[in-house]
Amino acid sequence: METGEEFGPWLARQLKLAGKTQAELADELKLTRAAVSAWITGRSTPRPTVMSDIAKALGTDVGTVHTRTTDTQAGLPVTWYHRPGYPDGGRDLGNAAAFAFDADVQVLARETCQNSLDERLIENGRPVKVRYTLHELTGAALDAFREAILWNDLFPHYSAVSETAGNQKVGRVVDAGVRDMYEKGRLVLLRVDDYNASGLIGDDYADGKFAAVVRRQLESLKSGPGAGGSYGLGKATLWATSSLGLVLINSTLSVPHEGRTERRVIGRLELPWREVDGESYAGPAWFGRPDPDSPGAMVARSWWADEETVENLYLARESDEPGTSFLIVGAHDVAGLAANSSDPDDGFIDEEESDEDTRDITTMHARLVEALGRDFWAAMTGGGSKLPLLEVSVRALRNGKEVVAEQQVDPSVEQPARTRALRAHYEGTTVDRLTEAGQVAARSIPLKLPLSGGAHGTLGTHQAVLLVTEAEGDRDGAKNRMHSVRGNRMTVKRAVVPRLPNSTNPFQAVLLLGEAAGETAPFAKEAEDFLRAAEPPEHDRWGQTEELTLRWSPSAYRRINAMTAEANNAARELVARPKRSSGEGGEALRKALTVRTRPKAKTPAGPVVPVLDGLDAAVGDAGEWRIDGEVSIPRGDEIFPMVPVAQLDVRSGGRPRLDWAELVGVEGCEAVDGVLHFTPGARRAKFRGTTDVTSHPVRTTLTRLVVELRAGKGE
Amino acid sequence: MITQPNHVPERLGLLATSAVDPFLTEELLKGEQVHGGIDLAKVVEPLPEDDARWWVEPIRSLVDDAVFEFREDRTRADAWLAPRLHATLRLTRREAADKRLWNHLALAVAPDYVVWRHLSEPTAKKPERRVAAERFRGPADRQCFSRLWWAAELFRNGSDYEPVDIACGNQDLIHTVLRSELIDHRPTAQALVRLLKSGQVSGGREINGLSVAINTAGATLLYDILAPDQPRDPARLRHWIAEAGSAPPVERYELPSGPDEDPVPEESVAALTRYFAELFETAPVRGRKSGD
Amino acid sequence: MKFYPYKRLNRPVLLRVTSVALRLSDGTRDQLETTAYSTQQQAVALGIAGHTDWVSAEIAVSATLPPGANAPDAPWSDLRVLAVLTDGETNVRTSVDLTLDVEGGRDWSGALKVFRDDHLGRAYVAVYAVGTVDGVRGRSIAETDRSWIIDTASDEPVRGLQLEVQKASFKKSSREWLQAYADAPWVVDTSARVPTVFVNTDVEGVIDLLDSNGSGVESKVRDLLVAQMSTDVWTAVFHSAIGDLEVEPGGRPVFPTDWQGEVLREMLPDVIPGVHVEEALRQVHRRRTGESGWVELQTRIHYAAVRRADATKALAFAIRSLEQMNRESET
Repeated sequence: METGEEFGPWLARQLKLAGKTQAELADELKLTRAAVSAWITGRSTPRPTVMSDIAKALGTDVGTVHTRTTDTQAGLPVTWYHRPGYPDGGRDLGNAAAFAFDADVQVLARETCQNSLDERLIENGRPVKVRYTLHELTGAALDAFREAILWNDLFPHYSAVSETAGNQKVGRVVDAGVRDMYEKGRLVLLRVDDYNASGLIGDDYADGKFAAVVRRQLESLKSGPGAGGSYGLGKATLWATSSLGLVLINSTLSVPHEGRTERRVIGRLELPWREVDGESYAGPAWFGRPDPDSPGAMVARSWWADEETVENLYLARESDEPGTSFLIVGAHDVAGLAANSSDPDDGFIDEEESDEDTRDITTMHARLVEALGRDFWAAMTGGGSKLPLLEVSVRALRNGKEVVAEQQVDPSVEQPARTRALRAHYEGTTVDRLTEAGQVAARSIPLKLPLSGGAHGTLGTHQAVLLVTEAEGDRDGAKNRMHSVRGNRMTVKRAVVPRLPNSTNPFQAVLLLGEAAGETAPFAKEAEDFLRAAEPPEHDRWGQTEELTLRWSPSAYRRINAMTAEANNAARELVARPKRSSGEGGEALRKALTVRTRPKAKTPAGPVVPVLDGLDAAVGDAGEWRIDGEVSIPRGDEIFPMVPVAQLDVRSGGRPRLDWAELVGVEGCEAVDGVLHFTPGARRAKFRGTTDVTSHPVRTTLTRLVVELRAGKGE
Repeated sequence: MITQPNHVPERLGLLATSAVDPFLTEELLKGEQVHGGIDLAKVVEPLPEDDARWWVEPIRSLVDDAVFEFREDRTRADAWLAPRLHATLRLTRREAADKRLWNHLALAVAPDYVVWRHLSEPTAKKPERRVAAERFRGPADRQCFSRLWWAAELFRNGSDYEPVDIACGNQDLIHTVLRSELIDHRPTAQALVRLLKSGQVSGGREINGLSVAINTAGATLLYDILAPDQPRDPARLRHWIAEAGSAPPVERYELPSGPDEDPVPEESVAALTRYFAELFETAPVRGRKSGD
Repeated sequence: MKFYPYKRLNRPVLLRVTSVALRLSDGTRDQLETTAYSTQQQAVALGIAGHTDWVSAEIAVSATLPPGANAPDAPWSDLRVLAVLTDGETNVRTSVDLTLDVEGGRDWSGALKVFRDDHLGRAYVAVYAVGTVDGVRGRSIAETDRSWIIDTASDEPVRGLQLEVQKASFKKSSREWLQAYADAPWVVDTSARVPTVFVNTDVEGVIDLLDSNGSGVESKVRDLLVAQMSTDVWTAVFHSAIGDLEVEPGGRPVFPTDWQGEVLREMLPDVIPGVHVEEALRQVHRRRTGESGWVELQTRIHYAAVRRADATKALAFAIRSLEQMNRESET
């Protein structure tokens, strides 16, 4: 049986939810107020016979009172709370953070997966498991879901936004989202689950992860100093990915709140300012239980839902392992279009005008797998005694039926060379010099950390780890790149290793910095701290930042530049031989005296030369080659007559030439004595020929035919 | 007819092709007069002193014997000289690919032999007798000595020079086949010789027809599959070369022995001989009358 | 256009070298770094480690057959994959059977032995997928479209053939023939195995100029000199290559297999544009040996050489740098 929360706090909340005082309950139970107070403060518990009376008083069954795993349905039901408009009449065009991003499931993948990594429960050493589920609903399943989220209550708000849609981007997105649902009769849910993560702990309003995600869109709350992203700005991508601006959340907490851990549920809606039935609304809305503590008990807060409710909201979690499930309602992927289209459109792509579908779940599935492999291969890689930090899978369903089977993202498939490099590092199988394809070479790269506060000198030297290995074709993306990884194996920087000779074998390099370099690396924590301070909010490079200047010095970033230069030198030294110093005559002359291909010279004007454009051939019954040739004729006043020449290919030397038994023009040309004369004005011609078998030097099945068109006499 | 130069070097050296011209005079090409040898010696790059292989005397005596023996029919000298030159001048292929060595041999050591062997017979068209310059300093399959050395190298069956004797007895074969890549495959070379020996193929036209047939089918066929060869052991050749210093002069009447390398696998030669015979017999062009 | 009378694969076999080791004369083995080969250039440089005493090289290769090679309904049987090493200069041809890495896969691998005694310059490695098709054994159903180059001397794995450059005092050179050119700053020897440019060190400063790495006027003058020299060289090597052609019975010229072939293939498209190189070779040969047209062709040959030498670029930069210098001296 589930262990519910303590009776006292539970009862207190039920009373609050039901809008009853302790005195009122005491009256109903025909007991003293002191007895009720003793229960609530935990000094005593009611006798079993009283339990059923309490259940009756709260309008629930006696089981709920015994188990206390959920709130009673008494009091105010779960509902939508829309934040009223500002008294000064100010209008927001929608949450700035949420709509700073275009809908892009790859950005979503990066931000959400990074959050899960940051929120990983570290003590047990296990990876955090993240699962992306694309779920398309149609027909009855869609109707049932709409009922579960109280669509009828929301619809007037969407209508109001649609009416002003033309004016702003958010409105257009939302309008298109609603119309797609009605016109195509479908709705795509994109669910992001993590397991073995901390979950949305903390109070509904006060500081904590829950409030950071649900209440304060612009605030970042980090789990540890090594955290790469955070529930910072990145969480806004959840809402940005929803064409309805709607995200539902179910979290299992690693630290109990109100004595509970499972099924803490809330929804949040992001819409622009709107007016519905004469009332104005500021923007956001929450889906939850009205909070009796709030003014007029209007504000909705998270509630502890029962199993049936989470099932209906497509929020049921697989186990009681802590972590959070985000359900993006009406998910779409506008960036997927730009990625596929030939001319990249830098602006917003108007969905109505596009034939392509931004809501195709198989396309989104593929893009998720690609992005996750690209951005998190390092965290997904283990080896030796190192376990991976992260396991990710992606699946796609339609009305509960599998469309694309659950696929665990395999870093050795998505990023084979880099994964091999990191694995060799963990397994201790790296080498000093590369002598065989597939080996991984390792080098230490010093990063001299400055003293804080602008003091001269060096705090200590962190040893980063450079890994270099042969590229696996283009499966790791562009060749000769160095990916710099820190913290919980987040790739911060991707840069090409410069100044490589042309003959360099394609390679991939990985630079492990800070905590990614391993616990034993000197000054790992300090390096981590220093590097994080040198990152912009996008976490995609290192350089001069305000934090770096304030905490260290305006020139502190140069330490990173010096380290990068070292790393590039070390990589070059591994994959390219140093330029020869001596070679007689100097580099410039040697280069000029190398036989190499140049772009073709211009053809001087003159009579045009028809060229053979198509060839079909077969061996006839008598062993002769039967040939159908197609000639394309460039525009020109004067056209050379051409001689079709049939030859046989040889191992070496000159090719034996075959005689024609017959040669005729079929179209656009006339054959006279083995010469094709072209009809003036024709741009294409066809001819047919049969070789004289007695000119074949070997039986025809053992030959390889070569047909050429030659000018002049065909010599 | 000319004689050897007044000054014949004692040791072989390297003569760059760019340095050849002053000595390749009209008089020499006409077989009238040879250079004195002194000036030529100045532009030669020497070969290592301690290597007995570069002694000129054994080679010089070979060519003298050839001139004497085949004074009636100089073309027959090829079959006699090729294996004996090969067994006397023991070279790796790397060394044999250096044209400067052959330049030196032809111009400094035995220009008289080149003239004797290759001076053209007067014809109505070209009444003037003359040696083609390529016989002194031309491509490997044309130069007087290198063509013999390479013919011996490519047609010998391990240590057995008999196939060389047969191949070089037929001017058409070495003329047409030596330049082709086909005979780089040892079983192919042996099968060709076997067809010649058995008389299944004879005469210039037939040899040419056969080699065109093999060359044409070889555009898509890998004879290496039909007739596999064994991997070579380079130590055997090295050993043979090392013995050059203590080896007696090569036999004049018997065939000498070559490096102790494994012969081509007999199954491969037999299989390829049958295959080529069949290629040749089924070639449609065979029925044609000459002059077409 | 080419046509096969049997079914085969359209796409080429992909070949890569995966390691190179040298066996030295003292019996030791030197596993070379992967910089000894270039996957980009498809070239191996056995001279890279500076050994002069190596006996043989072992080159490990891996070949990937095109899709369909191992299809169960493929029209061929007895599939084998052969790596073939050839060297036209020393008439070497050796082949090695590759073995299938994983049952059902398309990757085959094996190792080739290259003996130093067998080569003077470059050898080539091609891979053939061979099967029995329509009852014909040993047929190639796919092959590499570009051979790997095994350069037994070079210390840099590059594909393009580099002409030799040597410096010498023409007056005092042991190469006596150079003395005849004592008043020339450089000469080209096209009769050597690889065409060689001799730079006359008696012309004081010429080597320093060629070796200079600086920027500024000096480098512009150097580039101009290099352009002039390479124009000469390319003209010379073209003439030498075209003058040495082997001719088929029937009078048709055959493409040389050594450096001459490489030079002709690169330069002919500029000399006779708009036609196949084979056709261009025939035309040039006809003009050279025939009655007329050879003189007219000289302009095109010169043009091809000038293009290769980047003469226009060198000249333009030199002029610009002169102008700048003049401006600076005026102010």
